[in-house]
Amino acid sequence: PAAAMPFPSSGADDAFDYLFKIILIGDSNVGKTCVVHRFKTGQYNEKQQNPIGVDFTVRSMDIDGKKVKIQVWDTAGQERFRTITQSYYRSAHGAILAYDLTRRSTFESIPHWIHEIEKYGAANLVMMLIGNKSDSLDKRQVLFEDACTLAEKHGLLAVLETSAKEAQNIEEVFTLMAKELIARNTLQLQGENPLNSFSLDSRPVIASPSVEKTQCSC
Amino acid sequence: PASSSRSCRLEEVPLEVLRQRESKWLDMLNNWDKWMAKKHKKIRLRCQKGIPPSLRGRAWQYLSGSKVKLEQNMGKFDELDLLTGDPKWLDVIERDLHRQFPFHEMFVSRGGHGQQDLFRVLKAYTLYRPEEGYCQAQAPIAAVLLMHMPAEQAFWCLVQICEKYLPGYYSEKLEAIQLDGQILFSLLHKVSPVAYKHLSKQKIDPILYMTEWFMCAFSRTLPWSSVLRVWDMFFCEGVKIIFRVGLVLLKHTLGSSDKLKSCQGQYETMERLRALSPKIMQEAFLVQEV
Repeated sequence: PAAAMPFPSSGADDAFDYLFKIILIGDSNVGKTCVVHRFKTGQYNEKQQNPIGVDFTVRSMDIDGKKVKIQVWDTAGQERFRTITQSYYRSAHGAILAYDLTRRSTFESIPHWIHEIEKYGAANLVMMLIGNKSDSLDKRQVLFEDACTLAEKHGLLAVLETSAKEAQNIEEVFTLMAKELIARNTLQLQGENPLNSFSLDSRPVIASPSVEKTQCSC
Repeated sequence: PASSSRSCRLEEVPLEVLRQRESKWLDMLNNWDKWMAKKHKKIRLRCQKGIPPSLRGRAWQYLSGSKVKLEQNMGKFDELDLLTGDPKWLDVIERDLHRQFPFHEMFVSRGGHGQQDLFRVLKAYTLYRPEEGYCQAQAPIAAVLLMHMPAEQAFWCLVQICEKYLPGYYSEKLEAIQLDGQILFSLLHKVSPVAYKHLSKQKIDPILYMTEWFMCAFSRTLPWSSVLRVWDMFFCEGVKIIFRVGLVLLKHTLGSSDKLKSCQGQYETMERLRALSPKIMQEAFLVQEV
């Protein structure tokens, strides 16, 4: 299926049913660029240069028979780049907030990133939390339960622990996000309150075989 | 792209020409003040032709004034080098060390000499200008310098770039780079109305495509031989070279209705600007257009 295949660079006139813009934010060096790289190419590249400013990637996915084009906007994590990256929050449909589960401080910054989104993003923007580097569980500094508590408190869509290195949950992150956005889109088209879409069950429970309970639906 | 640093082959300059250029440059460097005062135009011309690789590092220090700066501040770098530094900056710097030209032999190994020197230079800058601290875009700049000169020299050259060539680019709010984005865009209006109109219509903010170009002085964008030629001119003529290169790239990517046929949408355009045609980035073509 298309979802599992790297998608070649987009042509001007290939058709799609949905187009979603997703921003990827979080502290420096939590693995944002590696996550995008894995999503786009299916590969892990340890020798990844850090983005300066904003970078973007497009990939098409097949979701329930619909062709969904996903643009991921990868951002520089350093504080001072926020004045530049903020201007891209406004038009985003979704935001993936990333922390490094082996580094507590990156998790503690998450409320700050949420605040940024609330301040500069659209009101109905869908937020999701990912704890990257689940390949290094022996160095874990953030409990999955803590991440779930935080996500619940802020009304985020879900929390997933990911590994760009070992390809854990990367597809799932984007699939989940896309499904939620499709669901909300459908509701909005029907003229219902988009907030109600929280109750919509568009969140399949995914447990990757090697890591148990890597996702909570909040 | 990261891979560009792997190919260090320069445009073939005949050996004889190279020897001639070297002796001309040696003469200039040995009588620098005289040349700067009386024959600046000639220096500019020679920078446009490309500085001989064997003298490039030295020439950059003369051109930027970092050589004088070092002489005026003897021992300063060693002093800063001995200090510990603010952990807030050290943490970010350390996480960036392995992400600069990761394929270059100098920076390939974790904790190797290249990465160690990069750390020393960047740390020293945060102590030299504590109110400025560290900006992630300074790392690729410092790395290119370290490929051409020792740490102390690279430090003063970095100081000159941050304070004289690109003032404010790396400061807290990044205001200078955003302003230069607007300037670039208005210059584009004159240079290539077609490209300007297209970018306006697609609502593509300059900050989206020029941040990395300008903040890293194209060191991550162009093939390596072009980077060096651009830097030769940049050290001589300053930021206007960066603007000119930017304009050449935009014009030759989006500057005709023919070129725009295959990038009608915002994202196709962005994609195109992210993956520029190798032809227009080639040393010979680019330098002649600039």
